[in-house]
Amino acid sequence: MVDGLSLNIAQILFNSLLTGSLYVLAAIGLTLTYGILKFPNVAHAEFITFGAYIAYTVADIWKLGFEAGVLAAFVATGLLGVASHIFLFGPLIRKGASILHLTVASVGYGIVLRYAMQEIWGRKDLYYSAYYPGFDLGPIRVTPLWLSFIFLAVAIVAVFHLLLTKTKIGKAMRATSNNPSLAQASGIDTRKIILLVWFLGSALAGLGGVMKASDTRITPVLGWDILIMSFAAVIFGGVGSIYGTIFAGYTLGFVENLGVIGLVALKLSTEYRFLLGFLVLVFALIFAPQGIAGITFKSIRRRLSSSG
Amino acid sequence: MGKVCDMRENSDRKGISTAAAAALAVVLLIVGVAAGYFAGSATVTPQTTTLTQTVARTITTTQTVSAAQTVTQTVTQTATVTTTAAAPGGLPEKVKIGVLLPLSGELGSIGVRMLYGAHIAAKIVNDSGGIGGRPVQIIAEDTAAVPDKALDAVKKLVEVQGVQVIVGPATSVEAATIAKYLNDRKVPAISMSATAAALSNLAKQYGDTYFWRVVGSDTIQARALADIMKEKGFKRIVTFVVSNDYGIGMEQMLLAQPGMRDRVVLTIRYDPTKGDYRTELEQVRAANPDVIFYALWVESGKIVFRQALDLGLDKIPTMGGEGMADEAFFADPRAAEYMVKTGLFGTRPTYDPKTYSYQIFYNMHKRLYGDEPSLFADYTYDATMVAILAVGHAGVYDGAKIKNALALTGQYYIGATGMKAMDPSTGDLLSQDYLIWRVELKDGKPTYNFNYGFWSLGTGVVWK
Repeated sequence: MVDGLSLNIAQILFNSLLTGSLYVLAAIGLTLTYGILKFPNVAHAEFITFGAYIAYTVADIWKLGFEAGVLAAFVATGLLGVASHIFLFGPLIRKGASILHLTVASVGYGIVLRYAMQEIWGRKDLYYSAYYPGFDLGPIRVTPLWLSFIFLAVAIVAVFHLLLTKTKIGKAMRATSNNPSLAQASGIDTRKIILLVWFLGSALAGLGGVMKASDTRITPVLGWDILIMSFAAVIFGGVGSIYGTIFAGYTLGFVENLGVIGLVALKLSTEYRFLLGFLVLVFALIFAPQGIAGITFKSIRRRLSSSG
Repeated sequence: MGKVCDMRENSDRKGISTAAAAALAVVLLIVGVAAGYFAGSATVTPQTTTLTQTVARTITTTQTVSAAQTVTQTVTQTATVTTTAAAPGGLPEKVKIGVLLPLSGELGSIGVRMLYGAHIAAKIVNDSGGIGGRPVQIIAEDTAAVPDKALDAVKKLVEVQGVQVIVGPATSVEAATIAKYLNDRKVPAISMSATAAALSNLAKQYGDTYFWRVVGSDTIQARALADIMKEKGFKRIVTFVVSNDYGIGMEQMLLAQPGMRDRVVLTIRYDPTKGDYRTELEQVRAANPDVIFYALWVESGKIVFRQALDLGLDKIPTMGGEGMADEAFFADPRAAEYMVKTGLFGTRPTYDPKTYSYQIFYNMHKRLYGDEPSLFADYTYDATMVAILAVGHAGVYDGAKIKNALALTGQYYIGATGMKAMDPSTGDLLSQDYLIWRVELKDGKPTYNFNYGFWSLGTGVVWK
């Protein structure tokens, strides 16, 4: 290893937290819609991009400030998700479309959205003019933006936890996810719940888009760079499980950032960090095919006793 | 495409009137010698009797350049009045020079103006009688700077047009793509702007040298960069490169320079699609370097710079190769801020535009097109001139023989962009000069100062 290399572990953990927060924001929406509608919405990538562009329009074209842009991205992307269900996926489901039909429809829908955005905002890279210079927080170099995004992600996780466990609407969401017809039979307005899930899931994607774009740039393919890792987090965490997804998102963030250190030490390209994330995913699925959410003490005991 | 800059910014256009007269005399001399040479080789291989009628005339000219120098040469012009093809061993009625350039697409606007250089070379040669009386014809094909299209275009030139020598292609990826085909069909190509170091291995890879270039390989640039690093006293160097042929090539070339393995303390190859480089940059900081050497792509590079600024790495000096001298980096104000704060500096191929050879090209460009030559038109002119001279040298329109003539042709050709001596085992230019640029603030805006320094094999590093 290189002489005089004194890696700042705290900084690397902070970086991992930042990477993980992004995956969590992008993946929660994906797992929510998957949990209730049972199909992977590939157009989710475009929702991420859409949020980034909306924030740009509000913050830099209308000059209403970056905070207003973030809020607008949250609301507008949420509404886009609701509209997608009302006008596209809802009618398809009512006509009896299968998972395959819905998946292919979402791919096509995503392409339409991507090129529409390219038409509206252009192909050229865009940047938010808002800028908050970094400072040292103890041993860690941070920017207000990075801090606020980590805070936002953690806060959202907490709010979701309360929503799902303490409120009626949360219980209705869980019921709809587990068994839609039973939920409907017991008096839950599943239609409203489905629209709420679309709104929340898409809004979080929009937020993730602003976060990624403020750190890099805004392009029509912004969402695609995150989508693959988001899917990995969803599968790793156990499809439809919000807690599993949160855990998986942060785990992938850590594995990726720690992997970079190993790769650089081995003089390899950091392109392989994707590979490391997926290796973790593959091994996790071999031992827990249902994802992390499927792991219970009973299943571990069963596995141990069957092997022993 | 490698971006080459000339020294037009600091050239003095006014003081050439007396020089122009002398230049003209020397040019006439060069052209005269060249024409005589063509004629000479043309007469060595006599026309066969299949030609129905051949009118030959011999002109003897004497040019007096100075009292001491008198050059006498014989120019034999052979004009055929029949339409039959040329006799075996001779030159065809029209000597076709194929040109591969991006005439559409992203680089189309540059490519169209690069083609001017080829037409200027053909015009100068044709005005003085062509090659042994046979006029030169430029046949251009559009590659759009896309490798697949370049392969289609070169096949069209060789198989449909029967072209035996090619000028181009412009980019290194295109060159790597068509190299095997050139070797298989034994047709040499001379690139004006492909600088990737890996192209030096094409000759070894395919068995023979059918790819040549009149612009310096990045191998020479690496030597310039290593010299500059030593001159600046940098002892702890970190390389931060994009993980592809361009970036890894730069890293490897730099490490191959004498003494550099001890100085480079950390090498990082980053993924251009990721957009999250904080942990890579943290490792750079931990290595405590004197300088960071960057070879980035613009799109991902802007993100690297922005995040380096956010992480507070703006106290460490930065360097780069010619690819880093690109104003597209300034599109992100944070990236530009980082480049200014760290005083990013680096190299770029250059030459002296005050030479007679450059003025001939320049004046003809003004006369024919009414404006200043744009990027790479000069190198395209030289590549075309070398191709034409090699056909004359070979005396026959045959790719393999033209290829054999290229090394010697380049040896004795001093072009608009300098000496064009090339290594027959690699096709590489033997010598290339570099200017040293630096990112500076001018009137509050980030700009490239192309007059920060100079490097050549002869002079070493010179600061201005």
